[in-house]
Amino acid sequence: MFGLPWHIVLPTLLGSLLAGVLCSVMGTLVVRMNLSSLGFAMSHAAFAGAALGLMLSFAEPLWLAIAFSIATAAVLGPLADLSRMNTDTVVGAIFPLTMALGLVFLNKAPSSGIGSGALALLWGSVLGITMGQVTTLAAVLAAVVLILIAFGKEFFALLLDRKLAQASGINTRAVLYAVLFMVAVVVAVSMRVTGGLLIYALMILPASAAFQWAYDIKKIFVLAPALGIVASLGGFLLSFGMDLPIGSSIALCAAAIFLLSTAISPKRRRVG
Amino acid sequence: MEDPVVILDAVSASYEGERIATLHDVTMHVREAERVAIVGPNGAGKTTLLEVINGLLPFTAGEVCVFGRPVARDGHRLRARIAYMAQELFFPPSTPFLVRDVVMAALYAQMGPLRWPSRDDRTRVNGAMAMVGISMLAGRPIGRLSGGQQRKVLLARALAQGSRLLLLDEPTANLDPDAKLEVARIVREVERELAATALVVSHEGGPLLDDAERLVRIEAGRITHDGQMAELRGDLIATGV
Repeated sequence: MFGLPWHIVLPTLLGSLLAGVLCSVMGTLVVRMNLSSLGFAMSHAAFAGAALGLMLSFAEPLWLAIAFSIATAAVLGPLADLSRMNTDTVVGAIFPLTMALGLVFLNKAPSSGIGSGALALLWGSVLGITMGQVTTLAAVLAAVVLILIAFGKEFFALLLDRKLAQASGINTRAVLYAVLFMVAVVVAVSMRVTGGLLIYALMILPASAAFQWAYDIKKIFVLAPALGIVASLGGFLLSFGMDLPIGSSIALCAAAIFLLSTAISPKRRRVG
Repeated sequence: MEDPVVILDAVSASYEGERIATLHDVTMHVREAERVAIVGPNGAGKTTLLEVINGLLPFTAGEVCVFGRPVARDGHRLRARIAYMAQELFFPPSTPFLVRDVVMAALYAQMGPLRWPSRDDRTRVNGAMAMVGISMLAGRPIGRLSGGQQRKVLLARALAQGSRLLLLDEPTANLDPDAKLEVARIVREVERELAATALVVSHEGGPLLDDAERLVRIEAGRITHDGQMAELRGDLIATGV
């Protein structure tokens, strides 16, 4: 395929598809809870962590990326509760901090790390994905699916209406914190595919497109990852076919899916 | 004599940032199967009273017990047994939930973690929807229903939950006269079916208040009248309620 050896193509393809599924599943939660900027903030937290890894010349900056994302998740929930502000507003307040830290760390990184390493963090470097990283993505996907199956009804109750869920006895704070932690881990492990700047696209666009097609949250949870796969696969083919960066190609495909879904959504149809 | 279902003992409460308490030193006991109408002007503390009873708003002084258990300690567990219809709740058209799932969601906390709805749960939900007369809406998106239909769905939740305490905050607000009568009929049916106690907040009167046995009037966070509806009706009309 495109003259490339399978030992490079296969991890690339699997990594893209797994990231597409993971991000769009979490995106469904994030979009419905009006936390759209969460993916953006988490990706920049992960970016800051990975940049610190570059600065410290870590062989695998992914773990620092995950640590930074989880630390951000740990701060976000209590900070939103303490400030009595909307979580999305607090996310917006955290974002410049993580972005600034990332740039500071990159600035202090050894010059050898700034080139390919920094670009990989910002724009993704799916061709550099190893089977080990693919395994990590698969393990995180399995964990996310298990959590959603085990606590699905608690998540559904929160997605219906937070106050109604709280009034019916659901511990909404615990569920919200769980969402923040899951997004943190998913963003950090998926960042390698699209890069920190574009992971937001993979998280928000397929999920937002899925909301254009159905009124049933259960169907949306199936449709969003399906559209995530289409975006990833389309991006993968576009990237190889036209020699474009893969992160940008996936983001372009995801944006096209969203625009098309919005334009032809059955929700827009009028009778008569 | 049986223990009251709801006990408020010298309760004060205020919203965060408020200097003045929204509820002052409120004491009231509500018996099983009693319907209490709570009236008063806007901002008097009627909604606050319901939120304190189901533990959504922490109180600053006093004690609140529901079904004999302190709300401050057992809030989550108690809320799973209380049906609360919030005043401002309205599902917008884009809400991605079907009616049957909205009703089923009322049972989630009762089921506990790591359990999905069983056949019995589905039977309860179908029965509740049938009793409220919304079976034909089960597969419709909740956001596509009218305000009156959405209120019926919330009442079906209360019925499915098997709640023996209903806290209804302006349950007939913004409904047309026919829908008000229909909601009042359903509330009566839920009360009878479950031998439920109901606290109904309203600032506009109507059939739900007419049926109440007891009437409590709140002004500026204090109870100013509390007695049998028949005794108080004349006084309240004279004072402008």
